[in-house]
Amino acid sequence: SVLRFPLSPPQRPLHASVVLRRTSDERQKEPGAASSQFDSGPGPLPEQESRGPHPSYTGQGGQESEDFESEEQLQHRILTAALEFVPEHGWTAEAIAEGAKTLGLSSAAAGMFHSDGSELILHFVSQCNTKLSEMLEQEQKLVQLGEAEKKPMDQFLRDAVEARLRMLIPYIEKWPQALSILLLPHNIPSSLNLLTSMIDDIWHYAGDQSTDFNWYTRRAVLTGVYNTTELVMLQDSSPDFEDTWRFLENRVADVMNMGSTANQVQSTGEALVQGLMGAAVTIKNLAGMNQRR
Amino acid sequence: PGVGGSPRFCSGRVELEGMNRPVIDRIIRVDHAGEYGANRIYAGQMAVLGRSSVGPVIQQMWNQEKEHLKKFNELMVAYRVRPTVLLPLWNVAGFVLGAGSALLGKKGAMACTVAVEESISNHYNTQIRTLMEEDPEKYKELLQVIKKFRDDELEHHDIGLKHDAEEAPVYSVLKKAIQLGCKGAIFLSERI
Repeated sequence: SVLRFPLSPPQRPLHASVVLRRTSDERQKEPGAASSQFDSGPGPLPEQESRGPHPSYTGQGGQESEDFESEEQLQHRILTAALEFVPEHGWTAEAIAEGAKTLGLSSAAAGMFHSDGSELILHFVSQCNTKLSEMLEQEQKLVQLGEAEKKPMDQFLRDAVEARLRMLIPYIEKWPQALSILLLPHNIPSSLNLLTSMIDDIWHYAGDQSTDFNWYTRRAVLTGVYNTTELVMLQDSSPDFEDTWRFLENRVADVMNMGSTANQVQSTGEALVQGLMGAAVTIKNLAGMNQRR
Repeated sequence: PGVGGSPRFCSGRVELEGMNRPVIDRIIRVDHAGEYGANRIYAGQMAVLGRSSVGPVIQQMWNQEKEHLKKFNELMVAYRVRPTVLLPLWNVAGFVLGAGSALLGKKGAMACTVAVEESISNHYNTQIRTLMEEDPEKYKELLQVIKKFRDDELEHHDIGLKHDAEEAPVYSVLKKAIQLGCKGAIFLSERI
């Protein structure tokens, strides 16, 4: 497919970001014409344009660019800047374009990304997860230093999920849209990955040390709690989402109760095993094998 | 540690940066599954032969496996590795293998021990090679653990031989079958 950047052909071999940087240096035109090119299908992902490791940003004059950064870092900066415009434009290329503009880049930068806003949403989720991890890490440090009380498990889980969901509040209007995009087949591996590592993080900081099947049970259950609470939050119109937090409290209480159910299942299993053992011993006795040799 | 705090929770941290996560993940997961299975095998053997003359021997080997499992439980938490989903399966399969081999008699149990311990030792050796190739310094702690455990397993293997494992009924067939099963278990536990 044809590259849809406002470039003249000789410039095509260069990284898109190099061109954008030079465009920002020139800062001449406000590419109004460029905006119409967003919808013409996804541009090639920059990774595919890679020509070897780091491009050396020697400009036409042979001077090296002072602020050398990788493709990925630039993309992160653009996406972060774009978040500000999400409440207004939604998770779209428009938001990305606006974000790029605030960084002094050409709005054609949005062509670097998928037109459905996938990267923007995934970037946002990833950022939220990182923020959550940092929060939990901080909290753990305080507890270790004795400056804070260790929370009981149910409160810890509640607070962690609430903290994470609160990060959605500024974007809550457009979040349903984001959720549906995250469920698109080509996004599912990434979004699932982000979800599972977030849940694993929460359990890790909650002090989960299970190394048996409980590891899976706990994560599955907490994922269910998180997802259902998220959905409740989307439809919640109470002040400061207090209905949501009450729903969360009840779900977490269920998690705690479930622990005892698991124990009951285990004791049933143990009882079964003992029954089988009894049968085996009986058979051995009958076969005369149970004698001291 | 602080009020009501779990000491291991804080001190069991390992510097995860710069580690080859996929490789370490697999290693710890499969080793944990292996020790878990070995535990269940000895449990099965004890269930049948616990009060026979080899009872104490098996008990001693079982105790060492319990120590191994404990260590891997710690490592699993420290390296934040997930356990294999197949643990409930290994729970039953291990016990059945142990009890089944013991029903063939003392020598059958020893044959099973020899087969399993040989598989495990080879498996540990492969892991040691892998880690040495990666970076012996970075993985020093893990290497130490695996080396010690490999030595323990070799000892069990020798104990099995000493107790007439080779005289067990259909020894070579039994051994081959068990080792094939171990290979399969290792393959699966590394991945799922």
